[in-house]
Amino acid sequence: MTVSGGASKTMAPGTTDTPITKLSLGRRLLARQELTLIGVLILVGVLATLRNSSFGASDNLLQVIRAAVVTFIVACPLTLVTIGGGFDFSVGSVFTLGGVSAAYFMTHGIIWPLAIVLGIAVGAVIGGLNAVTIDRLRVPPIITTLGTFYFMSGVVILFTHGIDIAPLPTQFNSLGTGSTLGVPNVIIAGILVGIAYHLVLERTRFGYNVRSLGGNRLAATENGIPVRRLDAWLYVGAGALAAFAGIVYAARTGSGQVSAGGTSVTLTAISAVLIGGTSLFGGIGTITGTALGAILFAEIDNALAVAGIDALYSNMIIGGILVFAVAADSVRRGRMFSLKR
Amino acid sequence: MTNDGTAQADALTLTGASKNFGHVQALHEADLQVSAGRVHGIVGDNGAGKSTMLKILSGLHKPDSGELRVAGAPVTFDSPADARGHGIATVYQDLALVECLDVATNLHLGDIPKKRFFVDRKRMERDATRVLADLNVRVGSVRTPVGMLSGGQRQIIAISRAVRLEESRIVLLDEPTAALGIQERGHVGDIIDRLKAKGKAIIIICHDLDFVFNYCDDITVMRLGRTVAHLDAATTSRDEVIGYITGARQGTAA
Repeated sequence: MTVSGGASKTMAPGTTDTPITKLSLGRRLLARQELTLIGVLILVGVLATLRNSSFGASDNLLQVIRAAVVTFIVACPLTLVTIGGGFDFSVGSVFTLGGVSAAYFMTHGIIWPLAIVLGIAVGAVIGGLNAVTIDRLRVPPIITTLGTFYFMSGVVILFTHGIDIAPLPTQFNSLGTGSTLGVPNVIIAGILVGIAYHLVLERTRFGYNVRSLGGNRLAATENGIPVRRLDAWLYVGAGALAAFAGIVYAARTGSGQVSAGGTSVTLTAISAVLIGGTSLFGGIGTITGTALGAILFAEIDNALAVAGIDALYSNMIIGGILVFAVAADSVRRGRMFSLKR
Repeated sequence: MTNDGTAQADALTLTGASKNFGHVQALHEADLQVSAGRVHGIVGDNGAGKSTMLKILSGLHKPDSGELRVAGAPVTFDSPADARGHGIATVYQDLALVECLDVATNLHLGDIPKKRFFVDRKRMERDATRVLADLNVRVGSVRTPVGMLSGGQRQIIAISRAVRLEESRIVLLDEPTAALGIQERGHVGDIIDRLKAKGKAIIIICHDLDFVFNYCDDITVMRLGRTVAHLDAATTSRDEVIGYITGARQGTAA
């Protein structure tokens, strides 16, 4: 126990000598991963443009954003699940199943808007099953969702016999490839999802409760927060949005693809979340960070392709950045929370 | 049993409460009577049933038998939220704080104020500032994450939360001094005195007999799941209490 120097100062009677200090601006900035990420984004952009000036062309940048959006739609609910102290590995195969089942419905006599809703519902149901398995059967989230991932990728093959579902209704396809007011619809969908999730996380009681849940599950329970109901909503959201992203992808490519999604979607989404500064231990994270993480991912992929560098290096670089980002988070947290113990 | 003539309403009474976990009898015919405006200490050795008693009062456990009354009316609690609804606020030993969230949020856990769809952040911070000012806790910013506070500061935040609701008439404190230094212990004691002055009934589960004799008006001693003695802190002695705790003295209450 350290003795504080100012303890002998005279105080009003009854005043407790435990002032709560204000955080300095520097320390508050230190707590944000976004700034570092923006720096890395610009750095990568500048380096790529120096190697091949076509990287900076607006067409190419739009391509980067378009690629990032699909990851981002999956990563938004995943951010909340992770902040809530959970984990969802199953999003990749729910993505595939969402796209394939919506495509199946609309090629089997169901009008496409309803087919979209049904596809999303399939994802939501799978998310619900995840939540039930985790909370009632007490299987850890990573095992539950890994199991779901494998199971559902099997279901997709069983269901389609490995054959892509096409052609899809032209109206549906044009929704995916078209633009509104010059902005591609796909990007609009991503922005709307992003804004909605940002507001839910930062401004609603649900968002506050999710943070409490992930920050200290026992404390959340003791304070009467309905932890299981929160879990259920988080996983249902993750399933629904993963399926929606799969449907968006189907609309963009014009078919319900069996090979879309899978591990690559799961891994990019999780990486985007973690690179974006969301803590794997729960409680901390932002949607803006996840957006930057998703963009960084797409940017690096694209930059290396434009610069004519083997995709092999892309994986190596992303692996490095991921570990670096999480290490930076740990160091930062340690520095923030260790001083006053 | 203390009853110093003043017609103090019993804030809370527990009579003949028993609780078994499998074949372990954690609580056996335990009694407790707590008055408003008094501080009631529950002491006893490890395994004496203090925690079980606290968990029954805070709604985490349901007693197998016995009756619980709050302000004279019989109640049963199915959850901590029920207990809270009856004006019982609990400060758990683990403090139940979320380190990565700020002071204002921690003071409102489980009860975040809303304005339409969104959290009423302004009201939350204003309430937090007021509650801390009420308890004379000097505040720099209620936006400081709890993880940056010292043990004593955290304890005070946890207590402040328990009394934040004006309707919390009964405050349960589980080992409030366990992790604190001498100076911090004094601060917690100050706050207990303030709560008492506000007319709240305070129940403290505590190992620290010095603290109990400093701040408690009534003392209930537990031993092997029974409440073996109900004493007035002003007339009893440390030796007498220790006698009951160890079993050297036989109880009259059970």
